[in-house]
Amino acid sequence: MPQRETGKPGYQEAHTLLIVDDDEINRGILDQIFASYYDVEEAENGKIGLQKILDHPEKYGAVLLDVVMPEMTGLTVLHHLDEAGLLQVIPVFLITAEASDSTMKEAYQLGVMDVISKPVVPYMVLRRVNSVVELFRARKRLALQVEQQQSEILKKAQQIIELNQGMIEALSAAIEFRNGESGTHVRRIHDMTKFMLTHTELGKGLTKDDIDTIALAAVMHDVGKIAIPDAILNKPGRLTPEEFEVMKTHTTQGALLLQKIPQLRENKAYRYAYDIALHHHERWDGNGYPEKLKGDEISLWAQIVSLADVYDALSCKRVYKEAFSRETVLDMIRNGQCGVFNPKLLECFFSIEEELSKMYQKNE
Amino acid sequence: METAKYEKLTAAGIDVNSALERFMGNEMLLDRFLRKFAADENYRKLCDAVAAGKKEEALTASHTLKGVTGNLSMTDLFDLLTRQVQAFRDDDWKAAADLMPLITQAYEKVLAVL
Repeated sequence: MPQRETGKPGYQEAHTLLIVDDDEINRGILDQIFASYYDVEEAENGKIGLQKILDHPEKYGAVLLDVVMPEMTGLTVLHHLDEAGLLQVIPVFLITAEASDSTMKEAYQLGVMDVISKPVVPYMVLRRVNSVVELFRARKRLALQVEQQQSEILKKAQQIIELNQGMIEALSAAIEFRNGESGTHVRRIHDMTKFMLTHTELGKGLTKDDIDTIALAAVMHDVGKIAIPDAILNKPGRLTPEEFEVMKTHTTQGALLLQKIPQLRENKAYRYAYDIALHHHERWDGNGYPEKLKGDEISLWAQIVSLADVYDALSCKRVYKEAFSRETVLDMIRNGQCGVFNPKLLECFFSIEEELSKMYQKNE
Repeated sequence: METAKYEKLTAAGIDVNSALERFMGNEMLLDRFLRKFAADENYRKLCDAVAAGKKEEALTASHTLKGVTGNLSMTDLFDLLTRQVQAFRDDDWKAAADLMPLITQAYEKVLAVL
């Protein structure tokens, strides 16, 4: 008995050949021819044959179909298989005594692989059927292989993205450690930015991918603090005007630093990260820094991060201050004590602030 | 196959080599279907339908017989039935009916050796 290919794991080769013919002699002859190559099944009319195929389409490697049969003709069976989309998956051969032009044309148009005339010549029918079956098997194996490779590539791409993100977060957290924070600040800014863009109308017109990119960029908003001397960064008391001027440069220094990483410049997060690092201390009324931008001159993402930054700074203990209560925090933001924000932005922020406040309960 | 049997079948108009080849050399299977042919009703149905002038039934019986005789390589009978089926399809009833004596002759010749 010829060797059957077992194929790759997860790939089921269809081993069964179905003979649909009302004539017992025809079935007997075809059975003899193919018994050593396939598990052969027989159906004595079109109706039974069709039902067998529809019940288990995956098990049939080929179907040999008579044309003139009681109950249901071969052409009707073909029409049903065509509707079920099975003629592309299972090779069907018409075995017929009278292959009239119109029958052949219709059969080929529907998608039969071959029309073989009766009485059959064994070596010929064997060769014609086996060649097509092998073609279908090879095609299926190839499609499966491509599919496997595609999913491997996708997996690797995902790993690279996660690695990138991990590196960016690690860098940002390391900078945060310097001023005595635990690294959770950047994480919260990331989460708040994403939450506001996902759950309010602020994110209108942005794809999920855009939002993930902006949230990742938000993580880098304070990288410029690496250029600020410890004495200023970690000063417990109020900064002198001169010291504050130095402190303010963390925005421009951050943008400069990001600009100097060539790999980042090619990343889609770069333009957001640069913008956010430079402008997350700008204010709606033009009283922020470093460029004193006003209103819509400040990008939406820079506005969101500046509000999240203020909200987080007020809600947590810092080296220069204690944590404020939630009520105080909201009052201070509403009264403009930390600068003026876009009214529309505040409206969206207050509508979901309760959800944001839960981040602190979880972390403490 | 025994020579005597081979010659007997050949003389009756059966192409034994071609039939055996079609059954992948399985002589038992060929014998089984030859016996079945002897018991087949379609020849009787064909005669009755032609006598009664029933065209559809005559065509069905002729078509079925043609298939069986083709598979069993009953060459003479198969050729006659092929002509008859074609005549029925062409709506040439007379030509089809006129083939009956030849068909009967060939049929009985085969049946005599089964």
